[in-house]
Amino acid sequence: MKATTLEIDDILERYPKQPQHLISLLQDVQAEYKYISPEHLALICDHVGVPLTQAWAVATFYKSFSLEPRGEHEIKVCLGTTCHLKGGGRLVEACERDLAVARGHTTEDLRFTLDTVKCVGACALAPVVMIDEDYLGAASIPSLQKRLEKL
Amino acid sequence: MVNLTIDGRAIQAKKGCTILDAAREHGIYIPTLCYHQALKPIGACRICVVEVKPGPPRPLPACATYVAEGQEVVTSSPKLDAIRLELMKLVLINHALDCPICDKGGECELQDLTHALGVSVVDLEAVKLPPHKDYVSELIERHPDRCVTCGRCVRICRDRVGALAINFTLRGYFTELASGGLPLDCEFCGSCIDICPVGALINKVFKYRARAWEVTRTEMVCPFCGGGCSYELWTKNDRPLRVVNYDTALLCGRGRFGFPVVESPDRLKTPLIRENGGFREASWDEALDQVAAKFKEITEAAGSAAIYGVGSPRATNEANYLFQKFFRTGLGTHQLDNPGRYTYVQALKGLAAVFGFPQVSGVEKVAKPPLPFHSPLTTTEEAKASGFPLVLGKLKDLPKADVALVVGADVTPELPPLGWALNTALERDTFHLVVANNRKTKFDRRAHLSLRYKPGSERLLIAGIIKSLLTAQPEWAPTVIAGGFDEFKENINKVNLKDVAKKTGVPEALIKETAARLAQAQAPAIIFGSELMGQDKGLENTLALADLFLLVGRPGAPGSALYPVAEKNNTRGVCEVGVMPEFLPGFVPLEGAEPGPTLPEMLDLLEKGDPKAPQALYLLGGDLLRQLPNRSRVEKLLKKVPFMVVQDAFLTDTAKLAQVILPVAVHAEQEGTFISTDGSLGLLPRALPVNGVRPDWQIISQIGSKMGFAMSYASPKQIFAELALGMPRWAGMAPKNGGAAFTAEVTGQFVPFETDISLPGRRPFTLLVGKSLQHSGSFTTHEPCGTLTITNRARLGLNPADAQNLGLAEGDFAKVTSSQGEISVPVTLTPELPEGLVFLPEHFSQPAAQRLTLNSNLVRVTIQKG
Ligand code: SF4
Ligand code: SF4
Ligand code: SF4
Ligand code: FES
Ligand code: FES
Repeated sequence: MKATTLEIDDILERYPKQPQHLISLLQDVQAEYKYISPEHLALICDHVGVPLTQAWAVATFYKSFSLEPRGEHEIKVCLGTTCHLKGGGRLVEACERDLAVARGHTTEDLRFTLDTVKCVGACALAPVVMIDEDYLGAASIPSLQKRLEKL
Repeated sequence: MVNLTIDGRAIQAKKGCTILDAAREHGIYIPTLCYHQALKPIGACRICVVEVKPGPPRPLPACATYVAEGQEVVTSSPKLDAIRLELMKLVLINHALDCPICDKGGECELQDLTHALGVSVVDLEAVKLPPHKDYVSELIERHPDRCVTCGRCVRICRDRVGALAINFTLRGYFTELASGGLPLDCEFCGSCIDICPVGALINKVFKYRARAWEVTRTEMVCPFCGGGCSYELWTKNDRPLRVVNYDTALLCGRGRFGFPVVESPDRLKTPLIRENGGFREASWDEALDQVAAKFKEITEAAGSAAIYGVGSPRATNEANYLFQKFFRTGLGTHQLDNPGRYTYVQALKGLAAVFGFPQVSGVEKVAKPPLPFHSPLTTTEEAKASGFPLVLGKLKDLPKADVALVVGADVTPELPPLGWALNTALERDTFHLVVANNRKTKFDRRAHLSLRYKPGSERLLIAGIIKSLLTAQPEWAPTVIAGGFDEFKENINKVNLKDVAKKTGVPEALIKETAARLAQAQAPAIIFGSELMGQDKGLENTLALADLFLLVGRPGAPGSALYPVAEKNNTRGVCEVGVMPEFLPGFVPLEGAEPGPTLPEMLDLLEKGDPKAPQALYLLGGDLLRQLPNRSRVEKLLKKVPFMVVQDAFLTDTAKLAQVILPVAVHAEQEGTFISTDGSLGLLPRALPVNGVRPDWQIISQIGSKMGFAMSYASPKQIFAELALGMPRWAGMAPKNGGAAFTAEVTGQFVPFETDISLPGRRPFTLLVGKSLQHSGSFTTHEPCGTLTITNRARLGLNPADAQNLGLAEGDFAKVTSSQGEISVPVTLTPELPEGLVFLPEHFSQPAAQRLTLNSNLVRVTIQKG
């Protein structure tokens, strides 16, 4: 994470007050704060003049937006066809158990966010788990645990 | 017409209609789920698939495929059945299947479809989703586990209501109906409930009270506002349980949730007679005898002009007609008026001045005796009509206009159906909306041009628009024959646009742009509300708008008309049937006799102690103290009247000043008709017991009979027949319709209007007394009216910056003082209001907004903490 974050007002200022800028603003706020808090969502809505429900619908539709704080590290367990066949499901379950967090959510200490994805384009390495920007190929429960401990 | 075959049957269908429309018209069943006749089809669920030749090699949705010449359509085949079955299984895969406790059971489209398509097992499996049920929102309960994601609720809320309060969250299998993760904060119109094919949205007022097949259904007009919506009232064991609109699903909150007010414990049950400073209960005979005797005594002593009557925009046409007959024929005077005088009547007078009084020819009696509540008159081929009613628009035509100018109306609270019509119009890219108001209103978000003017400056702004149009196009001429144009132009010439921009606060460029859009319009519409009519210069405001319409209007083009808001259920009817001193029924000007004073003139007579001031007042409902400006003055003057009779359902503040109070039937306890804002006839059939109270018409007829007038009637049907016989303009009138079409002969006369806009006083804030979305008059302010859960009291709307300067936070009490009085009221921060303008709803008795007003709905006030 960066040491300083931009003020929300500075981000809002980047776009005119028109509904078509909703997604750009969501993206910028997501990029800056790693998630879109209810307060920020309300400010964005006020700025572009879009009712909250509509912005909420957009923010939940796209996977790239998160309405919950994201953890320091993102774990993405692949559940695409190949990884699914190779036991990706068991890897998610193991993470859920070990980190005490349900898929799609963030641990209480804000260290990890656990997500599932559908194919990361590395089927030859299946099952694959992505940890932040790194691929962990031919993952097993022990190799995954070891990798997480290192972090 | 287009020729096609459906399942081998040769069919003729209208061009531009869908295969589904054509099939339904010919009684051919095609199952549907996401389709609703009130919405644009989106083809989402695909249950309605049909095979179409010529066409692509896959089935097409019948609801979203248009008919074409020579098409061959197959609605049922093994392939189609298999697709539908599969789709149904997918729909049912995560369905709660709690029909026994679901309110929709018995009238659920999903139940019906499951049955019709013979779905017996769902052999698919999926993870169960956690249903995020919403039990906390007011009035509406949500069960996402029953939702079939048809999007009908989302679409009606967005495309018709315009609230955008609900939408889907997530996507794919996880899609769930949501309201931004919070309880509903919306208009609470409940339209989403009625349009939902399943029980995913539940009406809390009705929940668990009956099953759909146990109730008696009576179709009727809504008796709240002037919208004239029709709905089915559900009753069981003589109790009203629910209202439903099966046609468009659209109703507003007060229409849908307001009916429990009928069962309010505050209702008056027996006549009351004043005695020893209080009231005692009396029998009907005693009360009516006393009224008749006292009226006689007064007329004998002081002449029949000593009794003055005030009719009611709530009461039926029949009651109001009898009321005016009581005065005009019975007493032989014209001493009567209705409280619309302060708003709607000002508009009618302005329109009549410019477009003339109605003249009708070519009307004859129908051959056969007419059905009840059908006009006994019909039009001949030469039927012609002229006068101002011809420039009053119909709501169903409004979407055909291409430019709408809204002035001085917060459309949805004033008249929800106007808002639905505007949203429908906005679906067309060619439609342009110009909203001019003193504050931001709901439709500003969708307006192509938004004009923000200073409170009370409407007529000057209109003058500016006219000036700008005539400057840009000096050769401009109205499309209809119009007199006085040259003088009018001369007068308008004196208007200085810079000055207008300065005084109204609207930039010159916006004024010019508005004028240009109106000039280009092929079917311009002008919408205005009671906000503008309710000013002391309401008449001048309407004159300005009528002149503008005479200048740019194209009365021949559908939708091009004036749309003044008639606020209550019968605001227009009470005027049409002649409860005004200067107009007989049908807006026929009174001739050969002296019209009595208008309501404000009558109050002036009382104030002056004039010998012509009435000795007795007969009020047909209507809480004058709550409605009329300057409450303390009205109170003082009414107290001067020696004998006052009030017919009302509640012990209102006005009724408390009466000598005799006669409790009346409301809502479906009575039979009768109303005229809606757009002139159509709404029928109220009786569907509820009266429990000892009496309908207005009966009381008037009984008092009249006791006074020796020939006024005995068997039923409202009989009164309607008599009334409609005298109303040639109502020829062809029948329930839910506005009468036969006449060949319109619209002509006009430009009338100069005043452009001075000064508001007396020096206090720093301007208060606007107006309408709340959840209330209609004071009728809805009694428990257990459903909308009281949303808006339960008056709050002073205040701009947040003003609030901060005054040290006021949300909910703090403010002391509001005008030259007339002082009230204390909690504030609510309202960013839509500009600084310096505050807003108070007019409906409530505590605190009474009218304590502050002088002669207008605008007044200068001071605001302090405390
Ligand atoms: S009640 Fe009306 S405003 Fe509220 S969500 Fe339903 S349709 Fe929309
Ligand atoms: S709540 Fe009802 S109307 Fe709305 S999407 Fe679900 S099933 Fe359709
Ligand atoms: S808009 Fe008016 S007429 Fe229609 S439901 Fe609401 S109160 Fe009744
Ligand atoms: S399925 Fe996991 S990487 Fe392709
Ligand atoms: S009803 Fe036609 S697609 Fe849903």
